Amino acid sequence: MKYATLYAEDVDIGDELPSLVKGPIQQIQLTRYAGASGDFNPIHQDDEFAKAAGMGGVFAHGMLSMGFVAQALSDWAGAGRVRKLGVRFAALVRLKDVVTCRGRIVGTSSKDDTHLVEVEVWAENQHGEKVVTGHATVALPSRG
Amino acid sequence: MPITLDRAVVGKAFPPYAVTVERGKIKEFARAVGDLNPFYLDDRVGAASEWGDIIAPPTFATTFRDDSLDYTAFLRELGTDISRVLHGEQEFELHQPLQPGRTYLCRAKVVDIYEKTGKSGPMGFVVRETTVTDADNEIVGTMRAVTVVRL
Repeated sequence: MKYATLYAEDVDIGDELPSLVKGPIQQIQLTRYAGASGDFNPIHQDDEFAKAAGMGGVFAHGMLSMGFVAQALSDWAGAGRVRKLGVRFAALVRLKDVVTCRGRIVGTSSKDDTHLVEVEVWAENQHGEKVVTGHATVALPSRG
Repeated sequence: MPITLDRAVVGKAFPPYAVTVERGKIKEFARAVGDLNPFYLDDRVGAASEWGDIIAPPTFATTFRDDSLDYTAFLRELGTDISRVLHGEQEFELHQPLQPGRTYLCRAKVVDIYEKTGKSGPMGFVVRETTVTDADNEIVGTMRAVTVVRL
């Protein structure tokens, strides 16, 4: 359930995160993200520039897709729980693409009062092609 | 025309720069992503939370840019330009959420440059690490960015 408090006792290795569907990607979102992030690379805004650069047209900031993955993690684990998130941008996200973020728990550990959950994360487009792959560490509270 | 990256840039440390997190910037960023979590957007929810104020989403530190840095000049120093670069990988490690009103110090350096040949030809990889510290010189986070250069 989105924004519910998740406890360390609630999760098991192999569990999958609720998937998060984002998009279809529109140019206005890339323009907004440029302003919000400060990344004004014209390759995300100017179709002619992107074509001249050999990219076949504009594509989304990788960091926007990473933001989607971070949202999937926070929707599930709660805000402020992500300790580490590392991703590789595996394929370009284009205008009109629909990006679905997913994750699976691959490890858990507890030391003192810190309960860490290791999560394999990825995002795929509407063709099932992975556009982001990565790994996250989330710290969860305990029921005590 | 193939280009080569200047490996002499490995080890280059950029001048430290300070960033102050603005409340409105956190909200603008969360809305741009479409992440409407109340812990990022609602001041009253933030005030009543364990953090005492709103917090920033996990990838917010990507906004920590050095406004005085000439990125074009850095790319030229590497031997490339903006039309050839792509974001290959990114990692954030956060010891605590970033919050509005706080000022952080960022120290970035180039830690590695290597080349690989992929399915779309030869690629250069430039790895930069940025350490983010608070006013007590405690590390609150680190960022690792891999920029891919089409050679």
